[in-house]
Amino acid sequence: MKIELVNRLVMFLSLLVVQVLILNHVHFLGVGTPLLYVYFAITFRRNFPKWLVLVSCFLLGLMVDTFSNTPGLASSVMTLAGLAQCYLMELIAPRDSAEDLEASMKTLGFSKFLTLSAIITTLYCMLFFALEAFNFFDVLMWLARSLVSSMLTLVLILAIESVRSR
Amino acid sequence: MRNLLDFLYKYHHWLVFIVLEVVSVVLLFQYNSYQGSVWFSSASAVAGKAYELESKMTAYLSMAKANEELTMRNIYQERQLDQLRRLYAEATKDTTDMERKGLEFLSQYQLIPAKVVENSIHKLENLITIDKGRKDGVEPDMGVACGNGVVGVVYLVSDHYAVVISALNAASSRISCAIRNRGYFGYLHWYGGDPSVAYVEDVPRHAKFKLGEWMVTSGFSSIFPSGVQVGKIEQAYNSSDGLSYKLKVRLSTDFGNVRDVVVISDKSIAERAALMQAARDSISFKQRQ
Repeated sequence: MKIELVNRLVMFLSLLVVQVLILNHVHFLGVGTPLLYVYFAITFRRNFPKWLVLVSCFLLGLMVDTFSNTPGLASSVMTLAGLAQCYLMELIAPRDSAEDLEASMKTLGFSKFLTLSAIITTLYCMLFFALEAFNFFDVLMWLARSLVSSMLTLVLILAIESVRSR
Repeated sequence: MRNLLDFLYKYHHWLVFIVLEVVSVVLLFQYNSYQGSVWFSSASAVAGKAYELESKMTAYLSMAKANEELTMRNIYQERQLDQLRRLYAEATKDTTDMERKGLEFLSQYQLIPAKVVENSIHKLENLITIDKGRKDGVEPDMGVACGNGVVGVVYLVSDHYAVVISALNAASSRISCAIRNRGYFGYLHWYGGDPSVAYVEDVPRHAKFKLGEWMVTSGFSSIFPSGVQVGKIEQAYNSSDGLSYKLKVRLSTDFGNVRDVVVISDKSIAERAALMQAARDSISFKQRQ
Protein backbone atom coordinates (compact mmCIF):
# COMPACT_ATOMS: atom_id res chain seq x y z
CA MET A 1 0.00 0.00 0.00
CA LYS A 2 2.81 2.37 0.95
CA ILE A 3 4.75 1.72 -2.23
CA GLU A 4 1.55 2.19 -4.18
CA LEU A 5 0.97 5.59 -2.58
CA VAL A 6 4.53 6.68 -3.35
CA ASN A 7 4.07 5.53 -6.95
CA ARG A 8 0.87 7.53 -7.19
CA LEU A 9 2.59 10.61 -5.78
CA VAL A 10 5.45 10.35 -8.27
CA MET A 11 2.95 9.97 -11.09
CA PHE A 12 0.95 12.94 -9.78
CA LEU A 13 4.00 15.22 -9.76
CA SER A 14 5.47 14.09 -13.07
CA LEU A 15 2.14 14.41 -14.91
CA LEU A 16 1.68 17.88 -13.41
CA VAL A 17 5.14 19.03 -14.51
CA VAL A 18 4.80 17.57 -18.01
CA GLN A 19 1.36 19.08 -18.48
CA VAL A 20 2.24 22.54 -17.22
CA LEU A 21 5.66 22.99 -18.77
CA ILE A 22 5.26 21.16 -22.06
CA LEU A 23 1.78 20.04 -23.08
CA ASN A 24 -0.03 23.29 -22.22
CA HIS A 25 2.09 24.94 -24.91
CA VAL A 26 1.08 22.45 -27.60
CA HIS A 27 -1.71 23.65 -29.89
CA PHE A 28 -1.99 21.10 -32.64
CA LEU A 29 -3.63 22.75 -35.70
CA GLY A 30 -4.59 25.59 -33.37
CA VAL A 31 -7.27 23.46 -31.67
CA GLY A 32 -5.78 20.43 -29.94
CA THR A 33 -4.04 20.47 -26.56
CA PRO A 34 -3.18 17.07 -25.08
CA LEU A 35 -4.59 16.80 -21.55
CA LEU A 36 -2.35 13.96 -20.44
CA TYR A 37 -3.02 14.35 -16.70
CA VAL A 38 -6.28 12.47 -17.20
CA TYR A 39 -4.00 9.39 -17.39
CA PHE A 40 -3.72 9.75 -13.61
CA ALA A 41 -7.47 9.08 -13.24
CA ILE A 42 -7.45 6.16 -15.68
CA THR A 43 -4.79 4.06 -13.97
CA PHE A 44 -6.29 3.54 -10.51
CA ARG A 45 -6.46 -0.14 -9.59
CA ARG A 46 -9.72 -1.90 -8.85
CA ASN A 47 -11.06 -1.28 -5.31
CA PHE A 48 -8.67 1.56 -4.57
CA PRO A 49 -10.44 3.61 -1.82
CA LYS A 50 -12.94 5.69 -3.79
CA TRP A 51 -12.65 8.78 -1.64
CA LEU A 52 -8.89 8.80 -2.20
CA VAL A 53 -9.39 8.51 -5.97
CA LEU A 54 -11.74 11.49 -5.90
CA VAL A 55 -9.61 13.66 -3.62
CA SER A 56 -6.35 13.02 -5.48
CA CYS A 57 -7.98 13.61 -8.87
CA PHE A 58 -9.47 16.82 -7.53
CA LEU A 59 -6.08 17.98 -6.23
CA LEU A 60 -4.30 17.23 -9.52
CA GLY A 61 -7.01 19.17 -11.38
CA LEU A 62 -6.67 22.05 -8.95
CA MET A 63 -2.89 22.17 -9.40
CA VAL A 64 -3.23 22.21 -13.19
CA ASP A 65 -5.86 24.95 -12.81
CA THR A 66 -3.56 27.01 -10.66
CA PHE A 67 -0.92 26.98 -13.34
CA SER A 68 -3.27 27.76 -16.22
CA ASN A 69 -5.49 30.36 -14.51
CA THR A 70 -8.69 28.37 -14.80
CA PRO A 71 -9.66 27.64 -11.15
CA GLY A 72 -12.33 24.99 -10.82
CA LEU A 73 -12.27 23.93 -14.47
CA ALA A 74 -9.90 20.96 -14.51
CA SER A 75 -10.64 20.09 -10.87
CA SER A 76 -14.38 19.66 -11.44
CA VAL A 77 -13.95 17.52 -14.55
CA MET A 78 -11.08 15.51 -13.05
CA THR A 79 -13.24 14.63 -10.01
CA LEU A 80 -15.92 13.38 -12.37
CA ALA A 81 -13.34 11.41 -14.36
CA GLY A 82 -12.16 9.75 -11.13
CA LEU A 83 -15.69 8.70 -10.26
CA ALA A 84 -16.35 7.44 -13.77
CA GLN A 85 -13.16 5.36 -13.64
CA CYS A 86 -14.24 3.55 -10.44
CA TYR A 87 -17.46 2.35 -12.07
CA LEU A 88 -16.05 1.73 -15.56
CA MET A 89 -13.33 -0.44 -14.05
CA GLU A 90 -16.03 -2.62 -12.45
CA LEU A 91 -17.80 -2.96 -15.80
CA ILE A 92 -14.73 -3.61 -17.90
CA ALA A 93 -12.64 -5.88 -15.64
CA PRO A 94 -13.26 -9.61 -16.22
CA ARG A 95 -15.49 -11.06 -13.50
CA ASP A 96 -12.99 -13.67 -12.34
CA SER A 97 -10.09 -11.23 -12.13
CA ALA A 98 -8.25 -10.24 -8.97
CA GLU A 99 -9.89 -7.83 -6.54
CA ASP A 100 -7.01 -5.40 -6.87
CA LEU A 101 -6.63 -5.66 -10.64
CA GLU A 102 -4.35 -2.96 -12.04
CA ALA A 103 -5.72 -0.74 -14.80
CA SER A 104 -2.99 -1.18 -17.39
CA MET A 105 -2.56 -2.54 -20.87
CA LYS A 106 -0.64 -5.51 -19.48
CA THR A 107 -3.42 -6.73 -17.17
CA LEU A 108 -6.51 -5.71 -19.14
CA GLY A 109 -5.26 -6.35 -22.66
CA PHE A 110 -5.14 -3.84 -25.48
CA SER A 111 -8.82 -3.64 -26.43
CA LYS A 112 -10.20 -3.36 -22.91
CA PHE A 113 -7.62 -0.79 -21.89
CA LEU A 114 -8.34 1.17 -25.07
CA THR A 115 -12.09 1.15 -24.31
CA LEU A 116 -11.51 2.34 -20.76
CA SER A 117 -9.12 5.14 -21.67
CA ALA A 118 -11.06 6.21 -24.76
CA ILE A 119 -14.30 6.61 -22.80
CA ILE A 120 -12.70 8.56 -19.97
CA THR A 121 -10.52 10.74 -22.23
CA THR A 122 -13.35 11.66 -24.59
CA LEU A 123 -15.72 12.38 -21.72
CA TYR A 124 -13.04 14.45 -20.07
CA CYS A 125 -12.16 16.53 -23.13
CA MET A 126 -15.78 17.17 -24.11
CA LEU A 127 -16.75 18.38 -20.65
CA PHE A 128 -13.52 20.34 -20.22
CA PHE A 129 -13.92 22.34 -23.42
CA ALA A 130 -17.67 22.77 -22.91
CA LEU A 131 -17.03 24.34 -19.49
CA GLU A 132 -14.11 26.39 -20.81
CA ALA A 133 -16.22 27.92 -23.57
CA PHE A 134 -19.09 28.52 -21.16
CA ASN A 135 -19.73 32.08 -22.30
CA PHE A 136 -19.21 31.71 -26.03
CA PHE A 137 -20.58 28.37 -27.00
CA ASP A 138 -19.67 27.45 -30.57
CA VAL A 139 -20.61 23.84 -31.34
CA LEU A 140 -18.21 23.24 -34.23
CA MET A 141 -15.24 24.72 -32.40
CA TRP A 142 -16.14 22.71 -29.31
CA LEU A 143 -16.35 19.45 -31.25
CA ALA A 144 -13.09 20.17 -33.07
CA ARG A 145 -11.23 21.02 -29.88
CA SER A 146 -12.53 18.09 -27.86
CA LEU A 147 -12.06 15.52 -30.62
CA VAL A 148 -8.55 16.59 -31.63
CA SER A 149 -7.48 16.94 -27.99
CA SER A 150 -8.85 13.54 -26.99
CA MET A 151 -7.15 11.89 -29.98
CA LEU A 152 -3.82 13.46 -29.02
CA THR A 153 -4.25 12.51 -25.37
CA LEU A 154 -5.20 8.96 -26.27
CA VAL A 155 -2.18 8.53 -28.52
CA LEU A 156 0.11 9.73 -25.72
CA ILE A 157 -1.56 7.43 -23.17
CA LEU A 158 -1.23 4.40 -25.44
CA ALA A 159 2.40 5.25 -26.16
CA ILE A 160 3.22 5.48 -22.45
CA GLU A 161 1.30 2.29 -21.67
CA SER A 162 3.03 0.28 -24.37
CA VAL A 163 6.40 1.33 -22.98
CA ARG A 164 5.32 0.53 -19.41
CA SER A 165 3.83 -2.85 -20.22
CA ARG A 166 7.07 -4.20 -21.65
CA MET B 1 -30.46 5.62 12.39
CA ARG B 2 -28.32 2.58 11.93
CA ASN B 3 -29.60 2.16 8.41
CA LEU B 4 -28.76 5.78 7.69
CA LEU B 5 -25.21 5.29 8.98
CA ASP B 6 -24.82 2.14 6.91
CA PHE B 7 -26.10 3.99 3.89
CA LEU B 8 -23.66 6.84 4.47
CA TYR B 9 -20.80 4.41 4.95
CA LYS B 10 -21.58 2.56 1.78
CA TYR B 11 -21.97 5.63 -0.35
CA HIS B 12 -19.57 8.03 1.34
CA HIS B 13 -17.64 8.50 -1.90
CA TRP B 14 -20.72 10.12 -3.41
CA LEU B 15 -20.69 12.65 -0.58
CA VAL B 16 -17.00 13.33 -1.19
CA PHE B 17 -17.77 13.68 -4.89
CA ILE B 18 -20.55 16.21 -4.30
CA VAL B 19 -18.43 18.27 -1.89
CA LEU B 20 -15.48 18.41 -4.32
CA GLU B 21 -17.71 19.33 -7.25
CA VAL B 22 -19.34 22.11 -5.24
CA VAL B 23 -15.90 23.48 -4.33
CA SER B 24 -14.86 23.38 -8.00
CA VAL B 25 -18.00 25.07 -9.23
CA VAL B 26 -17.67 27.79 -6.60
CA LEU B 27 -14.07 28.39 -7.73
CA LEU B 28 -15.16 28.35 -11.36
CA PHE B 29 -17.78 31.03 -10.91
CA GLN B 30 -16.04 33.04 -8.24
CA TYR B 31 -13.15 33.70 -10.55
CA ASN B 32 -15.39 35.29 -13.15
CA SER B 33 -16.25 38.06 -10.72
CA TYR B 34 -13.64 40.76 -10.89
CA GLN B 35 -11.73 40.31 -7.66
CA GLY B 36 -10.92 36.63 -7.93
CA SER B 37 -8.55 34.86 -5.63
CA VAL B 38 -4.84 35.22 -6.18
CA TRP B 39 -4.21 31.87 -4.54
CA PHE B 40 -5.31 29.63 -7.37
CA SER B 41 -3.84 31.63 -10.21
CA SER B 42 -0.41 31.85 -11.76
CA ALA B 43 0.19 34.93 -9.58
CA SER B 44 0.58 32.66 -6.56
CA ALA B 45 4.14 32.37 -5.30
CA VAL B 46 4.78 28.74 -6.29
CA ALA B 47 3.24 28.83 -9.75
CA GLY B 48 4.87 32.19 -10.43
CA LYS B 49 8.31 30.91 -9.48
CA ALA B 50 7.94 27.79 -11.65
CA TYR B 51 6.94 29.87 -14.66
CA GLU B 52 9.75 32.32 -14.01
CA LEU B 53 12.32 29.52 -14.18
CA GLU B 54 10.78 28.13 -17.34
CA SER B 55 10.66 31.50 -19.04
CA LYS B 56 14.27 32.25 -18.11
CA MET B 57 15.28 29.06 -19.89
CA THR B 58 13.33 29.78 -23.05
CA ALA B 59 14.07 33.52 -23.14
CA TYR B 60 17.57 32.94 -24.49
CA LEU B 61 16.21 31.17 -27.54
CA SER B 62 14.14 34.11 -28.67
CA MET B 63 16.64 36.78 -27.68
CA ALA B 64 17.90 37.40 -31.19
CA LYS B 65 14.45 38.05 -32.61
CA ALA B 66 13.47 40.37 -29.78
CA ASN B 67 16.70 42.28 -30.24
CA GLU B 68 16.13 42.68 -33.94
CA GLU B 69 12.61 43.98 -33.42
CA LEU B 70 13.71 46.45 -30.78
CA THR B 71 16.49 47.77 -32.97
CA MET B 72 14.10 48.29 -35.87
CA ARG B 73 11.65 50.04 -33.65
CA ASN B 74 14.38 52.19 -32.14
CA ILE B 75 15.58 53.32 -35.52
CA TYR B 76 12.07 54.10 -36.63
CA GLN B 77 11.38 56.16 -33.55
CA GLU B 78 14.64 58.00 -33.71
CA ARG B 79 13.81 59.05 -37.25
CA GLN B 80 10.34 60.08 -36.24
CA LEU B 81 11.66 62.07 -33.30
CA ASP B 82 14.17 63.76 -35.52
CA GLN B 83 11.53 64.69 -38.04
CA LEU B 84 9.19 66.04 -35.41
CA ARG B 85 11.93 68.00 -33.73
CA ARG B 86 12.76 69.62 -37.03
CA LEU B 87 9.15 70.47 -37.75
CA TYR B 88 8.69 71.85 -34.26
CA ALA B 89 11.83 73.93 -34.46
CA GLU B 90 10.66 75.34 -37.78
CA ALA B 91 7.30 76.23 -36.34
CA THR B 92 8.43 77.81 -33.08
CA LYS B 93 12.10 78.69 -33.70
CA ASP B 94 12.78 77.23 -30.25
CA THR B 95 14.73 74.01 -29.82
CA THR B 96 15.00 73.78 -26.02
CA ASP B 97 11.26 74.01 -25.40
CA MET B 98 10.61 70.66 -27.07
CA GLU B 99 13.00 68.75 -24.85
CA ARG B 100 11.58 70.34 -21.74
CA LYS B 101 8.04 69.36 -22.75
CA GLY B 102 9.13 65.82 -23.54
CA LEU B 103 10.58 65.40 -20.08
CA GLU B 104 7.50 66.87 -18.45
CA PHE B 105 5.30 64.43 -20.34
CA LEU B 106 7.35 61.43 -19.29
CA SER B 107 7.68 62.44 -15.64
CA GLN B 108 3.93 62.08 -15.30
CA TYR B 109 4.28 58.35 -15.92
CA GLN B 110 6.33 55.84 -14.06
CA LEU B 111 7.41 52.92 -16.22
CA ILE B 112 8.01 49.62 -14.43
CA PRO B 113 9.94 47.15 -16.62
CA ALA B 114 8.79 43.53 -16.23
CA LYS B 115 9.30 40.15 -17.84
CA VAL B 116 6.51 37.90 -19.08
CA VAL B 117 6.74 34.56 -17.27
CA GLU B 118 3.59 32.95 -18.66
CA ASN B 119 1.49 33.73 -21.69
CA SER B 120 -1.19 32.13 -23.84
CA ILE B 121 -2.76 33.08 -27.16
CA HIS B 122 -4.90 30.10 -28.11
CA LYS B 123 -7.73 30.42 -25.62
CA LEU B 124 -10.69 32.77 -25.74
CA GLU B 125 -9.70 34.38 -22.48
CA ASN B 126 -5.96 34.80 -22.56
CA LEU B 127 -4.02 35.96 -19.52
CA ILE B 128 -0.37 36.91 -19.11
CA THR B 129 1.68 36.59 -15.92
CA ILE B 130 4.52 39.06 -15.30
CA ASP B 131 7.28 38.97 -12.69
CA LYS B 132 6.51 42.29 -10.98
CA GLY B 133 3.89 42.73 -8.26
CA ARG B 134 2.61 44.97 -5.52
CA LYS B 135 6.04 45.36 -3.93
CA ASP B 136 7.35 46.78 -7.23
CA GLY B 137 4.51 49.30 -7.43
CA VAL B 138 2.18 47.37 -9.75
CA GLU B 139 -1.53 47.86 -9.03
CA PRO B 140 -4.66 46.50 -10.73
CA ASP B 141 -5.91 48.52 -13.74
CA MET B 142 -2.50 49.71 -14.85
CA GLY B 143 -1.71 49.49 -18.56
CA VAL B 144 0.95 47.12 -19.89
CA ALA B 145 2.81 47.75 -23.15
CA CYS B 146 5.84 46.36 -24.94
CA GLY B 147 8.23 47.86 -27.48
CA ASN B 148 5.80 47.19 -30.32
CA GLY B 149 2.51 48.28 -28.78
CA VAL B 150 -0.17 47.57 -26.19
CA VAL B 151 -0.25 44.25 -24.34
CA GLY B 152 -3.06 44.48 -21.80
CA VAL B 153 -4.30 45.65 -18.43
CA VAL B 154 -3.21 44.44 -14.97
CA TYR B 155 -5.94 42.37 -13.34
CA LEU B 156 -4.68 40.55 -10.24
CA VAL B 157 -1.64 41.45 -8.17
CA SER B 158 0.27 39.41 -5.60
CA ASP B 159 3.42 40.57 -3.83
CA HIS B 160 5.84 39.60 -6.58
CA TYR B 161 3.73 38.66 -9.60
CA ALA B 162 0.78 40.05 -11.48
CA VAL B 163 -1.77 38.61 -13.92
CA VAL B 164 -2.52 40.80 -16.94
CA ILE B 165 -5.68 40.59 -19.07
CA SER B 166 -4.19 40.34 -22.53
CA ALA B 167 -5.69 42.42 -25.34
CA LEU B 168 -6.44 38.94 -26.75
CA ASN B 169 -9.14 38.32 -24.15
CA ALA B 170 -12.51 38.04 -25.84
CA ALA B 171 -14.48 38.36 -22.61
CA SER B 172 -12.83 41.16 -20.69
CA SER B 173 -10.51 43.27 -22.81
CA ARG B 174 -11.85 46.62 -24.08
CA ILE B 175 -9.04 49.06 -24.72
CA SER B 176 -10.08 52.51 -25.84
CA CYS B 177 -8.17 53.50 -28.97
CA ALA B 178 -8.21 56.20 -31.61
CA ILE B 179 -7.03 56.75 -35.19
CA ARG B 180 -3.65 58.49 -35.05
CA ASN B 181 -3.81 62.23 -35.85
CA ARG B 182 -7.54 62.04 -36.53
CA GLY B 183 -8.96 61.46 -33.10
CA TYR B 184 -11.98 59.29 -33.90
CA PHE B 185 -12.10 56.64 -31.24
CA GLY B 186 -13.57 53.21 -30.57
CA TYR B 187 -13.01 50.09 -28.48
CA LEU B 188 -10.58 47.33 -29.32
CA HIS B 189 -12.27 43.93 -29.26
CA TRP B 190 -10.87 40.48 -30.02
CA TYR B 191 -13.11 37.56 -30.99
CA GLY B 192 -10.73 34.63 -30.71
CA GLY B 193 -8.93 32.90 -33.54
CA ASP B 194 -6.07 34.72 -35.24
CA PRO B 195 -3.91 36.33 -32.52
CA SER B 196 -2.71 39.10 -34.84
CA VAL B 197 -6.12 40.49 -35.81
CA ALA B 198 -8.59 42.43 -33.64
CA TYR B 199 -11.50 44.77 -34.32
CA VAL B 200 -12.24 48.34 -33.28
CA GLU B 201 -15.93 48.95 -32.80
CA ASP B 202 -18.11 52.04 -32.46
CA VAL B 203 -16.10 54.24 -34.83
CA PRO B 204 -18.57 56.91 -36.03
CA ARG B 205 -19.85 56.81 -39.61
CA HIS B 206 -18.59 60.29 -40.38
CA ALA B 207 -15.01 59.41 -39.41
CA LYS B 208 -12.50 59.92 -42.22
CA PHE B 209 -9.51 57.62 -42.42
CA LYS B 210 -7.49 55.57 -44.86
CA LEU B 211 -6.70 51.90 -44.77
CA GLY B 212 -3.17 51.41 -43.50
CA GLU B 213 -3.38 54.20 -40.94
CA TRP B 214 -2.31 53.52 -37.37
CA MET B 215 -4.59 52.97 -34.41
CA VAL B 216 -3.16 54.22 -31.10
CA THR B 217 -4.54 54.29 -27.55
CA SER B 218 -6.85 57.24 -27.02
CA GLY B 219 -5.85 58.15 -23.48
CA PHE B 220 -9.53 58.40 -22.45
CA SER B 221 -9.59 55.27 -20.35
CA SER B 222 -6.98 56.55 -17.86
CA ILE B 223 -5.21 53.20 -18.17
CA PHE B 224 -2.94 53.99 -21.11
CA PRO B 225 -1.52 57.40 -21.97
CA SER B 226 -2.54 58.52 -25.44
CA GLY B 227 -0.41 57.50 -28.41
CA VAL B 228 0.68 53.96 -27.52
CA GLN B 229 0.67 51.98 -30.76
CA VAL B 230 -2.09 49.36 -31.27
CA GLY B 231 -2.01 48.33 -34.93
CA LYS B 232 -2.73 49.17 -38.56
CA ILE B 233 -6.22 49.45 -40.06
CA GLU B 234 -6.58 46.66 -42.56
CA GLN B 235 -10.24 46.77 -43.55
CA ALA B 236 -13.43 48.63 -42.62
CA TYR B 237 -16.85 47.04 -42.27
CA ASN B 238 -20.27 48.37 -41.36
CA SER B 239 -21.38 47.39 -37.87
CA SER B 240 -24.35 45.06 -37.60
CA ASP B 241 -26.72 47.92 -36.75
CA GLY B 242 -25.30 50.07 -39.57
CA LEU B 243 -24.70 53.02 -37.26
CA SER B 244 -20.93 52.81 -37.00
CA TYR B 245 -17.83 51.33 -38.59
CA LYS B 246 -16.06 48.23 -37.44
CA LEU B 247 -12.35 48.33 -38.31
CA LYS B 248 -10.21 45.25 -38.76
CA VAL B 249 -6.84 46.00 -37.19
CA ARG B 250 -3.59 44.12 -37.67
CA LEU B 251 -2.06 44.26 -34.18
CA SER B 252 1.49 45.56 -33.97
CA THR B 253 2.28 43.48 -30.88
CA ASP B 254 3.33 39.91 -31.60
CA PHE B 255 1.52 38.26 -28.69
CA GLY B 256 3.12 34.91 -29.37
CA ASN B 257 6.50 36.42 -28.63
CA VAL B 258 6.21 39.03 -25.86
CA ARG B 259 9.02 38.87 -23.31
CA ASP B 260 9.88 42.35 -22.11
CA VAL B 261 7.02 44.64 -21.16
CA VAL B 262 6.56 47.84 -19.17
CA VAL B 263 3.78 48.53 -16.71
CA ILE B 264 2.63 52.12 -17.09
CA SER B 265 1.79 53.71 -13.80
CA ASP B 266 0.07 57.06 -14.16
CA LYS B 267 0.15 59.18 -11.03
CA SER B 268 -2.84 61.19 -12.18
CA ILE B 269 -5.07 58.11 -12.51
CA ALA B 270 -6.15 58.14 -8.89
CA GLU B 271 -7.09 61.79 -9.20
CA ARG B 272 -9.03 61.20 -12.41
CA ALA B 273 -10.76 58.13 -10.98
CA ALA B 274 -11.78 60.11 -7.89
CA LEU B 275 -13.16 62.90 -10.07
CA MET B 276 -15.09 60.42 -12.21
CA GLN B 277 -16.52 58.78 -9.09
CA ALA B 278 -17.55 62.18 -7.70
CA ALA B 279 -19.29 63.00 -10.98
CA ARG B 280 -21.12 59.67 -10.98
CA ASP B 281 -22.18 60.14 -7.38
CA SER B 282 -23.56 63.60 -8.03
CA ILE B 283 -25.50 62.40 -11.09
CA SER B 284 -27.05 59.49 -9.22
CA PHE B 285 -27.82 61.84 -6.31
CA LYS B 286 -29.66 64.22 -8.66
CA GLN B 287 -31.57 61.35 -10.25
CA ARG B 288 -32.75 60.19 -6.87
CA GLN B 289 -34.08 63.62 -5.97
